[in-house]
Amino acid sequence: MATGLTYSVALDGIAGRLVCVEADISPGVPGWALSGLPDASVAESRDRCRAALLNSRQKWPDLKITVGMYPADLRKVGSHYDLPIALALLAAQGELPAASLRSCVAFGELGLDGRLRSVPGVLPAVLSAADNGVERVIVPAANAVEASLIDGVRVLGVRSLVECIALLRGEEPPVEEELEPWLADAEPRTVRPRHEDEADLLDVRGQHLARWCVEVAAAGRHHLFLEGPPGSGKTMLAERSPKLLPELEVWQSIETTQVHSLAGLLSRDDPRVSRPPYQAPNHADTVPSVIGGGGRLIKPGAISLAHHGVLFLDEALEFRPSVHDALRQPLESGEISIRRADGAARFPARFQLIMAANPCPCGMAWGKGRECICVPSKRRQYRERLSGPVRDRIDIVNEVLPVSRAEMRQQVGSSGSSQQVAARVAEARLRAKARFAELPWLTNAEVPGFEFRRRCPLPADVTRPIEDLVAIGRLTQRGADRVARLAWTVADLGGRDRPALVDVDEALFLRTRGLHGTSAVSLRRA
Amino acid sequence: MGLETGTVVSDAERAARMLMSRVAEPGDVDACRLVREFSASELVERLRTGRQGRAKGQAWAARLAAADPEQMRRAADRVGARYLAPGDPDWPDLAELRTLESAPRDLCAGEPFGLWVRGPLALGSVVESAVAIVGARASSDYGDYVAGSLAAGCAARGWAVVSGGAYGIDAAAHRGALAAEGTTIAVLASGIDRLYPAGHGGLLENVASTGLLVSEAAPGCSPTRLRFLVRNRLIAALSRGTVVVEAALRSGSLNTARWARDLGRPLMGVPGPVTSMTSAGVHELLRQPESVLVTDAAEVLELVAPIGSAPAPVKRGERIPRDDLDEVSQRLLDAVPKVAPAPVASIAVCADLGPAQALERLAALAQRGLVIRVGGGWRLSPTRSDAP
Repeated sequence: MATGLTYSVALDGIAGRLVCVEADISPGVPGWALSGLPDASVAESRDRCRAALLNSRQKWPDLKITVGMYPADLRKVGSHYDLPIALALLAAQGELPAASLRSCVAFGELGLDGRLRSVPGVLPAVLSAADNGVERVIVPAANAVEASLIDGVRVLGVRSLVECIALLRGEEPPVEEELEPWLADAEPRTVRPRHEDEADLLDVRGQHLARWCVEVAAAGRHHLFLEGPPGSGKTMLAERSPKLLPELEVWQSIETTQVHSLAGLLSRDDPRVSRPPYQAPNHADTVPSVIGGGGRLIKPGAISLAHHGVLFLDEALEFRPSVHDALRQPLESGEISIRRADGAARFPARFQLIMAANPCPCGMAWGKGRECICVPSKRRQYRERLSGPVRDRIDIVNEVLPVSRAEMRQQVGSSGSSQQVAARVAEARLRAKARFAELPWLTNAEVPGFEFRRRCPLPADVTRPIEDLVAIGRLTQRGADRVARLAWTVADLGGRDRPALVDVDEALFLRTRGLHGTSAVSLRRA
Repeated sequence: MGLETGTVVSDAERAARMLMSRVAEPGDVDACRLVREFSASELVERLRTGRQGRAKGQAWAARLAAADPEQMRRAADRVGARYLAPGDPDWPDLAELRTLESAPRDLCAGEPFGLWVRGPLALGSVVESAVAIVGARASSDYGDYVAGSLAAGCAARGWAVVSGGAYGIDAAAHRGALAAEGTTIAVLASGIDRLYPAGHGGLLENVASTGLLVSEAAPGCSPTRLRFLVRNRLIAALSRGTVVVEAALRSGSLNTARWARDLGRPLMGVPGPVTSMTSAGVHELLRQPESVLVTDAAEVLELVAPIGSAPAPVKRGERIPRDDLDEVSQRLLDAVPKVAPAPVASIAVCADLGPAQALERLAALAQRGLVIRVGGGWRLSPTRSDAP
C-alpha cells in the first residue's frame, strides 16, 4: 500500500481554493476509483493520465488505484487536474520523491503523448496558491510567463511529463525532439477594437459636444449614453474611447489578466493585460456570453472581460431585458454573481459603460420626424426599455445628431486628436488620484459615497443649482451625487482645485442632456 | 317637446338620456339634435315602436334592444359616477358646440345631451377657470418637465388643468396639477368605469378623488379611435384655452388644437428644439396666425384670464447703467479704455468730440460711477462690468 500526495487549485469564478490530490495503490482487483465529486471532464482524466504515463515510459499500476480530491464535498471541474493526478500516482509508485511534491501546486492538462497543454485560469490559480503559502507551482510551459506574473512563488514550466519527472527528481531533463506545436494551442484570438492603432478621434467629423462628453466620461470614468439616428458617429466615438484611457495600474492589470486568463484569452509570450480592455458584445449574443455563465464551467462574460476597461453596448435598446437587468449589480457593486442550481461564481465587472441607441425602432425620430414610421406607443415603449435603475446610473446623456454640411467641411483642431485628449484625461486623472491617495479607487465616478463626500465636498457656494433641482423633484438624491462627481471631473479637466459654479452648471448640462445647466466648454473648444 | 334652458330634467328623461348615451355614438350629431328637439324619452319611444326610420334609426333600435339600463346603473354606482344633463346646476356651458354641428368637416360632433362624471367638484363652475394642456404620447423628458411645470403653475394660481389622461404630456399635466394640490379634470374616451390606459389606473383614481373624471360614452364603452377624436372637442370646450406642449407632425393632440381654434378659444404652443421630432408639430401650429407662443404659466393665464386681470410681466434682459445714457455719452464711454488710463485729448478724438465737451461728459460719467480719473488720464471704473 503506497500513497502519493500533491496539491492543485479549484477555481470558483475568480477565486481559488486549494485542493489536495492523493493517490493510493493497493493490492486487489485492478481498478480505478476517483472520489471528490469529479465532473465529466475530471472523470476523463483517467484515460488521459494512463496514456500519458505509458507514453512517458512510466508504469500504469495493475493494482487497485484510488484517487481522492479534497475537500471531498467540493465539486471538481476542469481538465487541469490531469497533472496533479499523474504526479500523485507517480509519487505513490515511488517514482518521485515525496518531498518534491510537498508545498507544490500542479495545474495542467495532459495530452495522450505526455505533453502538457495550456489551460485557462492559471493566473488566478497561482495567485490562490501564493495566498496559501505554497512555494512552488508546476504549470504547462505555455502558461509559464503568465504564472510568473505573481511574485513570491517559484514557477516550474514544463512541456511534457518526462521533463517534469526529470526536474522533480533533480535530474537533467532528456533532450527531446522539438515537437510540432499543437495547432489548437495557437495564440488565442484577442479582442481588440478594429484598427486600434489607426483609429483616432480626428476621424469623427464635427460633433464637438459629443467629443466633449467622451472626454469627460474618460476622465472621470463616467457612464455615457449617446442617442441619435444611424450614421451620426455614435459608434465611432465609442470605439475610440478606450485609447483615451491611461495604462492600467499594476493591481488593475493583475485583476484584469486573471479574468482574461479564465476566458483563455491570454497571449503566451505577453500575457499581461496592460491596456484597458474593450468589449463590444452584439445585441444578438447570448445572455451568458455577455453576462457570464455557460455550460459546466461558469465562464466570465463580456462585462467581466471589460473589467477596468470599456463596455460598449451598441444598439443598447435592442439587448434583451435580462441583460439590462443583469447590469444593475455590476454598475452598483463592480462585480457580478452568477448563480445556478449547482453553484455560484463571482467575477469582477467594474467597467465604464458606453451605450449607443437610436431614438426609435426605425431610427428616424429626429428633426421633423417625417421619415419616422413608428407609432407613438412604439416610440415610447422603445425608450422605456432602458430600465430606470440603469438610466439613473448614466452620468452623461448626449444627443448625437447627423453632422451638418458646414461641420463636415470644417477641420477639427489638433487639440481634438486622441493623443491630446488622452493627455488631458491623464492629467485630470492625476488630480483625482491625488485626492484619493491611499484608496483603491482612482476616479470620481468609482469612489464610494462616504469617501467621496469626505474628500470631495462641493463648496457651499456652488451647490445651489443642484439643490434647486432636487427640491422640485428633477434630480434624485443619487442624481445629485452623480452631478457632484461630474462637477469634480469637469474641474479636474479645467485644472481647478475645486469645482466652481461654471463646473456645476456644466455637470448639470451633461447629466440632464442639456435640459438644465449650461455648457460653456463645448462652445469654446476648437 | 324641447327643453327650456334652466329646467332640470325629470328622472325619466335622465334615464332615457343615459340609455341614449349607450345607443348612439358619443357626439353623434343626429342623436344630439334629436334629443335636444324632441327629448330622449320621445326618441327612445320612437325607436322602440319602430317609428324612427332611416339607417341610423334601425341601428339604434338594435342597440337599444341589446342595452341593459340596470347593468349600466350598477356599473356607474360601483364607481360612484353620476349623470349630468343640461339644466343641472353643475352643467357646463357647451352651447358653442352647437354652432359647430353643421361645420363642413369629416368629423362632425354635436353638443352633448349629457355627461357621466366622477369626483367631488361641480363641473360647471370648475371649467370657468380651467386650462387644457395636451400633447404627444411619446413625449420627451423636456416635454414632461414643461407640461408638469405649466400645470403646477396654473394650479397654484387657482386654475384647473384639463387633459385626456393619456401617456406622455397628458399624464405629466395631471401629475403637475396634483403635485401643486390643485384641480385637474380628465376627459375620457372610454366609459366612466373603464380607466384607460390601464397603466394610469392609479393616476386616474387620484384625479377622481380630488378632481373630476368626465365621459360622454356610457359605462362599459371601450375607447375607439373615433371616440378619442370626439372627446378632444370636450377637452377644448371644457376649458378657456388650450396649450399644446409637444406634438409630432401627426400627433392626435393637434386635433384638440383644431377644436380650440374652431371654438374661438386661445390656442397656445410651447416651442422646443427644432431638431426634436416631438416639437415639430407644435412649431407648425405656431406658424399659424391664430396661435400664440407661450413659455410659462403666467403667459398662458394672461391669454385665458378675463382681459387685464392677469397680465404677465414682460421679460427683458437686466437693465445696465449704460442703457440710460444718450447716444453721445455712449459713444464717449466706448472710447474710454478699460485698464490703462488715457488723456482726455485722445479719448475725445476717438469719440469724435471736442476736448471741452468730452471733459464735461466725462465728469458726468464719473459722477455716475462709470469712469474714474487716475493720474492724468481716464479709464473705466473697475467695479462696474459694462459687458453687453
